[in-house]
Amino acid sequence: MKKQLLSMTVNGEEVNLAVTPNTTLLEVLREDLGLTGVKEGCAEGVCGACTVLMDGNPVRSCLTLALEAGGADIVTVEGMATGGNLHPIQQAFIEHGAVQCGFCTPGMILASKALLDRNSDPSEDEIKTALAGNFCRCTGYRKILEAVSAASTGHTEPRRKE
Amino acid sequence: MSRDEYSYVGKSIPRIDSRSKVTGEALFTADLKLPRMLVGKILRSPYAHAKILDVDVSKALSLKGVHAVVTGKDTAGEKWGVFRYTRDQQLLCVDKVRYVGDEVAAVAAVDEDTALEALSLIRVDYEELPGVFDCRSAIEPGAPLVHEDRPRNINVAVKIDVGDVEAGFKRSVLIREDTFAAEEDSYFMTENYAVVANPHADGSIEVWMPNASPHTKAKALSNALKLPLSQVNVRKITIGGAFGGRSDVFPAEFIACLLSLKSDRPVKLVYDREENSIATRMGHAMITTIKTGVDPDGAVLARDIVSYLDGGAYSSTGPIATSVPYLCHEQAYRLENVRFHGYRIYTNKPVRGMIRIHGRSFACGIDTQLDMIADELGIDPVAIRLRNARRPGETTPTGSYVASCGMVECIEKTAEASNFLEKREKRPPNRGIGMGINSVQTGFPLGIRGGSQAFIKFHEDGGATVVSGVVDNGQGNDQMLVQIAAEELGVALDDVRLISADTEVTPTDAGSYSMISTFGGGAAVKAAAEDARAQLFEVASEMLEADPSDLVARNRKIFVRGAPDVGIPIAKIVRKALILGRPIMGRGSFAPDVDQRREWISNPKGQLSQAFSFGATVAEVDVDPETGRVQALEVACAQDCGFAVNPMLVEGQFEGGVAMGGQGGMLGEEHRWHQGHVLNPSLLEYKIPIIKDMPAITPIIVETIDPGGPYGAKEAGMSVAMSAAQAYCNAVGNALGIYFNHYPLTPERILDAIEHKKPGIQTAWELEPARIIKSE
Repeated sequence: MKKQLLSMTVNGEEVNLAVTPNTTLLEVLREDLGLTGVKEGCAEGVCGACTVLMDGNPVRSCLTLALEAGGADIVTVEGMATGGNLHPIQQAFIEHGAVQCGFCTPGMILASKALLDRNSDPSEDEIKTALAGNFCRCTGYRKILEAVSAASTGHTEPRRKE
Repeated sequence: MSRDEYSYVGKSIPRIDSRSKVTGEALFTADLKLPRMLVGKILRSPYAHAKILDVDVSKALSLKGVHAVVTGKDTAGEKWGVFRYTRDQQLLCVDKVRYVGDEVAAVAAVDEDTALEALSLIRVDYEELPGVFDCRSAIEPGAPLVHEDRPRNINVAVKIDVGDVEAGFKRSVLIREDTFAAEEDSYFMTENYAVVANPHADGSIEVWMPNASPHTKAKALSNALKLPLSQVNVRKITIGGAFGGRSDVFPAEFIACLLSLKSDRPVKLVYDREENSIATRMGHAMITTIKTGVDPDGAVLARDIVSYLDGGAYSSTGPIATSVPYLCHEQAYRLENVRFHGYRIYTNKPVRGMIRIHGRSFACGIDTQLDMIADELGIDPVAIRLRNARRPGETTPTGSYVASCGMVECIEKTAEASNFLEKREKRPPNRGIGMGINSVQTGFPLGIRGGSQAFIKFHEDGGATVVSGVVDNGQGNDQMLVQIAAEELGVALDDVRLISADTEVTPTDAGSYSMISTFGGGAAVKAAAEDARAQLFEVASEMLEADPSDLVARNRKIFVRGAPDVGIPIAKIVRKALILGRPIMGRGSFAPDVDQRREWISNPKGQLSQAFSFGATVAEVDVDPETGRVQALEVACAQDCGFAVNPMLVEGQFEGGVAMGGQGGMLGEEHRWHQGHVLNPSLLEYKIPIIKDMPAITPIIVETIDPGGPYGAKEAGMSVAMSAAQAYCNAVGNALGIYFNHYPLTPERILDAIEHKKPGIQTAWELEPARIIKSE
């Protein structure tokens, strides 16, 4: 299959590469760019482990052809922290025990970011709707819900004590 | 010591591995990339049962980019089995395939496309054989045999007979016999199975894969590859969940090693979701017939149980899997007269292993029947459980002393937190509340690999490195070890580095599959840290001119008790010890106090485990009688985990247990079949709970401070998953006035039961009982 040129921005850096039309965004991110924080869980768009942000929207990178990302601004979990400082969502996931095995975590964090960027003070139901497409098998979701709620601006409760 | 006196243990401290997991830095097996690495792929049987007549790999071998092809001819029929007497799984099939997915051949090629093309070029001639696809037809005389040397397809037969069951029934005022069934369930850990093998010029091989015991994997690989154990190095890697499904040894790790040795290049083999479902392990389908006799107060006087477990094509952990549902039950409930016949039966289906809610039909059957008996006697569900619940200081029917037990407290606290009795009394229509109780082992007798050891070295700046064989599957074992080490050494958490689960470096450990990581691995690290601290105290006592027994290690200093201001920094003591030629090197070990003569089939008596956890869950649900859909409203779950080393992590285990055991395990998770074909191997069709499904959960940590556990800790991973399944089951039953006996409770089963609702106290469906199999 003939390769085509792909230009996109990934985590703030411009990327140019040649890919075959059947290559998924997931494959480009993982294989070509080494961004292994993007996980493949089901390869059919169900589990959400491969979630990345494309122009601010959460997308399943396993179902997105790489060429569809031409000109887009892609954010993976590797692009969340800035200057060594974790994003408040990342920090909240750590502090609230929302991370167990960690395989779903990158997708969860990015889906949460897409929500909070749009709605900085979501209700519990809105959080659940935003994360309904991200599977976690370890946590029972309670602590993920707590973490996202703690990272929202309307959250005034003191953070969990040790 | 009381909880307040500890610096780290007993505190909800964020996990040391969570930072690398939120940044994407944590590497899982499929993320590994090595120079010259090849892609491995496995050719699997399309038939449930067939003879292999011929395998022709010549075309695949000549395809450009293919570096190695292996078949059964390369393995000389080498077999794997957890026990010497259960070695029945060829690592690559030679003569016969026994399930759809059985491994027949494998290739290593430069990329995935080439590997897949090579697979399509392998020609296998099969002669299809008739298969068996359920327990009942498999044990029929004359049924096709999955293994020719196993008559009636009986893989494992466990018999336990304690007391005088017949006499117990004679004394009973009420006897019930009911039959319960459950279909196959599955792990669906988020990470698919993967393995990377990397051969070296010195003859050694490195292997990475998600596992529940690197040392067990290394030993099995060493046997199969005929390499010295010291040359098979299973490395640490981040693991995306296990739930029992990573415990066994799989042909794929052997195949990846073979391919890498043959090609002399690293090989990575990554399963897709379907392979992860069919070619690792799944849960057993199970039929259980329970006959129980009680006195007028509901105390169980006799119980007789027969279980059939559909084991699939190979033994896996068969003897353990067959016994554990019974054992959990005999720990949870007092029983004087009890008999159990458990049969694990071969079928031409994927291989079954232990799962976090292993034995749904057994555990839910026991609790459902108890509710039926309570209703017949006019006793409430809490009272009948309290009447029969295990107490500390007792001995189980098969001879395990129970040193600590908070079962009564778990029952009482969940009943209170959920307002159980009042809600049960005054329910709106189609709302129900139910309780389940259970118990789990903390380790099994595992011979030389039943214990754990640890080492600690100090750095010149006062930091320490802990070396332990304990593996972290995602539950937080790494954090547990670090909190314990920091506590005992008196250093900060950040001062402790952990090297774990790497068989080249770390000493052996029992693995995480028997719920012993904290009890055993944690105890070994605690002992090693105590040893290191004693060495620090020796040196410090000379510097402080004090008796070692008066010293305290805390806040990176060692000081005389009561005088923290005049302490000496640990870093200084470490350097002093180096000058004195007495470097600080801690070592510790743990060996469980169990009866090593106990054997699953030949001798099922004696101390099984040094400690047992106990738990109770109450679930409240609404059922829509039009659609059969269940909405879980609130769940209160309690577990006696001995001591919560990290309460936040323990709560996480409880909440995950409710999701997996109750919400998923009881309301919808099951595999569907067309003969030997799994119809729903993917996450699209097999429904695991999503965030929107989950009810409010009240986790209740009960601590009984077990005399054998580190700080009194036992286990926290499994009990709630089991009691949650039972609680959900009874809650749905309570909502509809139906005693369900076929699980999980999918909308179609619920609607069917409503449609055919029977009067009186009887199970929803009349299932054919499981009976003792004569003439074995």
